[in-house]
Amino acid sequence: MTARSIGADAAPYGRAVVPSVWSRLWSANGPGYLFLLPWFIGFFGLTVGPIVTSFYLSFTNFDLLTPAEWVGFDNYARMFTADPKFAQSMRVTLLFVVFSVPLKLAFALSIALLLNRGMRGLPIYRAIFYLPSLLGASVAIAVLWRQLFAGDGVVNDFLAIFGIQGPSWISNPRTSLWTLIALAVWQFGSPMIIFLAGLRQIPVDLYEAASLDGASKWRIFWKVTLPLLTPVVFFNAIIQTIEGFKSFTPAFIISGGTGNPVNSTLFYTLYLYQEAFAFFRMGYASALAWVLLAIVAIFTGVSFLTSRYWVHYDD
Amino acid sequence: MTTEAPRLTIVTGQVTAGRVARRRVISVVAHVLLIGASILMLYPLLWMLSASFRPEAEIFSSNSLIPSSVSLHGYSSGWFGLSRSFDVFFLNSFIVSILCVIGNLAACSLTAFAFARLEFWGRRFWFALMLGTLMLPYQVVLIPQYVLFLKLGWVNSFLPLVVPKYLAVDAFFIFLMVQFFRGIPRELDEAAMMDGCSPWRIYFKIMLPLSLPVMTTAGIFTFIFTWDDFFAPLIYLNDLKTYTVTLALRTFVDSTAESNWSGLFAMSILSLLPIFVLFLFFQRLLIEGIATTGMKR
Amino acid sequence: MSFSLDRRQFLLGSTALVAAGAVSPAFAQDKRLRLTWWGGQARADRTNAVSDLYAKAHPGVAFDTEFNAFNDYWPKLGTQVAGGNAPDVLQMDYRYLVEYANRGAIAALDDYVGKGLKLDDFDQDQQDGGKVDGKLYAISLGANSVSIMVNQKAFADAGVAEPNRDWSYDDYKANAAAFNAKSNGVRLMADGSGNEPALENWLRQRGKALYKDGKIGWDADDLTAWFKMWVDLRAAQVCVSPEDQALDASAAIDTTMITIGKAATTYANSNQLIAFQAVNKSPLTMVNFPRAGAGTGGGHYRKPSQFWSVNPKSALIEDAVSYVSFFVNDIEAGLALGVERGIPCSAAVRAALSPTLSAPDQLSLNFVSNLGDLLGKLPPVPPAHAGEVSQQLNTKAQEVAFGSTTPEDAGPAFAKEAADILARAS
Repeated sequence: MTARSIGADAAPYGRAVVPSVWSRLWSANGPGYLFLLPWFIGFFGLTVGPIVTSFYLSFTNFDLLTPAEWVGFDNYARMFTADPKFAQSMRVTLLFVVFSVPLKLAFALSIALLLNRGMRGLPIYRAIFYLPSLLGASVAIAVLWRQLFAGDGVVNDFLAIFGIQGPSWISNPRTSLWTLIALAVWQFGSPMIIFLAGLRQIPVDLYEAASLDGASKWRIFWKVTLPLLTPVVFFNAIIQTIEGFKSFTPAFIISGGTGNPVNSTLFYTLYLYQEAFAFFRMGYASALAWVLLAIVAIFTGVSFLTSRYWVHYDD
Repeated sequence: MTTEAPRLTIVTGQVTAGRVARRRVISVVAHVLLIGASILMLYPLLWMLSASFRPEAEIFSSNSLIPSSVSLHGYSSGWFGLSRSFDVFFLNSFIVSILCVIGNLAACSLTAFAFARLEFWGRRFWFALMLGTLMLPYQVVLIPQYVLFLKLGWVNSFLPLVVPKYLAVDAFFIFLMVQFFRGIPRELDEAAMMDGCSPWRIYFKIMLPLSLPVMTTAGIFTFIFTWDDFFAPLIYLNDLKTYTVTLALRTFVDSTAESNWSGLFAMSILSLLPIFVLFLFFQRLLIEGIATTGMKR
Repeated sequence: MSFSLDRRQFLLGSTALVAAGAVSPAFAQDKRLRLTWWGGQARADRTNAVSDLYAKAHPGVAFDTEFNAFNDYWPKLGTQVAGGNAPDVLQMDYRYLVEYANRGAIAALDDYVGKGLKLDDFDQDQQDGGKVDGKLYAISLGANSVSIMVNQKAFADAGVAEPNRDWSYDDYKANAAAFNAKSNGVRLMADGSGNEPALENWLRQRGKALYKDGKIGWDADDLTAWFKMWVDLRAAQVCVSPEDQALDASAAIDTTMITIGKAATTYANSNQLIAFQAVNKSPLTMVNFPRAGAGTGGGHYRKPSQFWSVNPKSALIEDAVSYVSFFVNDIEAGLALGVERGIPCSAAVRAALSPTLSAPDQLSLNFVSNLGDLLGKLPPVPPAHAGEVSQQLNTKAQEVAFGSTTPEDAGPAFAKEAADILARAS
């Protein structure tokens, strides 16, 4: 088991001896590009155009209804010098990512490990824990969350048993973001399933060998399970962080698209959406999007660089 | 090693009486924890279930799970609440979701196989670009994409929702599959290659059968994500008879006018049923996957 | 443009096959008008009924209709307009009228008045409400006024008389103690400090306006006084707590203070009584917004609830205008529509409709018709980006309510923010 990243020195497929340059080129690259053909068509046909367009629009004023007008770096300049809402939405989003992602992953992993023990009623538990994620972005969630986290909601009814008088969590600017973090963590089903699938792929003989060596379960977890699970942990961490930064629907549904109270739930993409579709500033919204992309890309890049030290692939 | 339940215990071989007792305690504790957590998880859903049977005027003023009176009005008024009944929307959702699952599984696994196993010039570059497409908020590519599909004449049909899946635009699933493919021991395909197998055969005969868990996961996720999506259907579908369930549900609630709330909750419950049943049914594959992948090395 | 024609023909081809059996060959060249609006199924049923009437009177015209909830409607319409694929006839909101008109996304209809578009007995103030810079861009589908919803049972239970048309904010305050004594935690009012219509109504009674000549029509002192009044009402427990008010994030009917049982009255619109009643157990009635002081008036106005506008690039613009004209003038159409979109603007339609209305609809009609001294002049159409100012008002009011700023600071701060937003919009 060596730690390697994409593009490392794995041997290419193909015949061992090749006569000409062209057929050597083909055997080295052909199969790869053939397999990528659908993706290339999709990428160049459907994806690149809109992405490049949005990059261009980020240097313009574009109100959706009339043609875009070039303004150079104005949008970017405004963001960093004259837009308190940009700073606020960035702060809200960072807080959300920092708390919701680790919590969600921890929940997902521990429940997956518990469920992987092969206990009775496993399918039922698994289904129950996945149910909230099925709800997705349903309008019903707004009502549900109010029912739970309002001043006279269920959470406070419960706290009252211990003599605690809680605030109206969802509508107090000091606590409202936490109800959205709770929502994100509550919907931990997807990473849980991915962890479970990862656990399922760990070959049983490794456990056998470790057990015969007399290793404790704790040791087996650290020495066998976790290392073999690192590609999946890595995947979940990257994906959840990207999704966290792009998180839109929780705040959109629960704050009715406003980001209130007092902008305490103004997620970055919610602000972007308001600019684009409520205030007709698609140019500015595009600039916001590209700044977000830069931030997420830097984070992801660093993660990939560090991954060679802790992610173990079997290839 | 085909059943999953006794995995850890049986292989250890020597089980003493003390350990049996300890295991039992652990098992009870685990169940208690899980049941407690389940109730927490389920309360909101149970509330929704109860709301769907409630009289409209009571929905927003009660925390209790038990309605003062039970009525099926939400279900009947919901099902026939729009000028097309919900069977049309369910059918649309099924068509779109199933087509998307097929497309995603085929196209993403091909792409992922190339990234995970094949060597070619520019692999890291293309992989980074592929991941990059995951990072741009969709709100800003929406309009250029709309113009593109409009020019193709696809607006007001399922094509903009379905065709992209056959061209592997979902970087999430490509990345997911890459991570899993790389977990499959390379000795297997290297051996096959020695025997003269083409990459195509290796993909088909080794990779796919060995990645049943991840393919199932990707299939279930695609189905559910597609089922739950409302933004793309909202933008691309105009005619009510082409609406998906999720889009139809949103049409129930207009913040400025009279809304059919009990109908919304009733139909929300019904719209959960197919994906829940699908999940219950296919999650077996997640388990049985091990039967085929539990190979010796 | 050529493209949308192609599309139309393509659509025609597929639908013609279906329609072939029903429609006689003479009408094979069906013109298909595309309509879009926001609203629920009730509105859709009424609208489709009018379309059917129109199709019967104008053989050869058929309809493709789209409708969505208000929040979903605008992103979709924006996308369609940007893509050059806007519908022929589209529903327009007072708030977005200037934006769409200034950018040429909706057609000026002045040239059609008296020809395809009949406005003979159409209320003058409602015609003016659809004008931007003197040109008619939108046809009002009904007149509306702001109003307060009143939970009658809450007042009966507390033994306090229901608010009447003379009540000022001070009167609400004077009755609060008696009301609170028996109200079991329910407050007399919702917190209206962040509610733009409430502020506008109050400003108008003080002789100011929300907007004047495309700029703000008030100064920092007005806003400081407004925020101060609400700090007062909050302290005296006349209105709900900030935490409760913030539950009403989207100002939708289901989250208003009256619906979730926090307050006995709430800010709303006169055409919403039926919708409010549907989600409230106790019987409701309507009254005007509170007076700013004893005897002040002129805060209310008959606001166009929503409009039809026409896509200037429509290939069927004549038919689109003719449909709009039919929609607001035809008696049969008016009977089908009722007052669901507000009080009809044509006197003839109103006269025919009045005897057929249900009690709550009648109440709504009478309320708008009998505003008396409460009624003031129609303000000019709000400038572009008024929506952003409105949202900022809500945020600023919450800052005051939660104590993170004072009325003295919030007044000037909001005045500057509002001016900046309007300046940027141009």
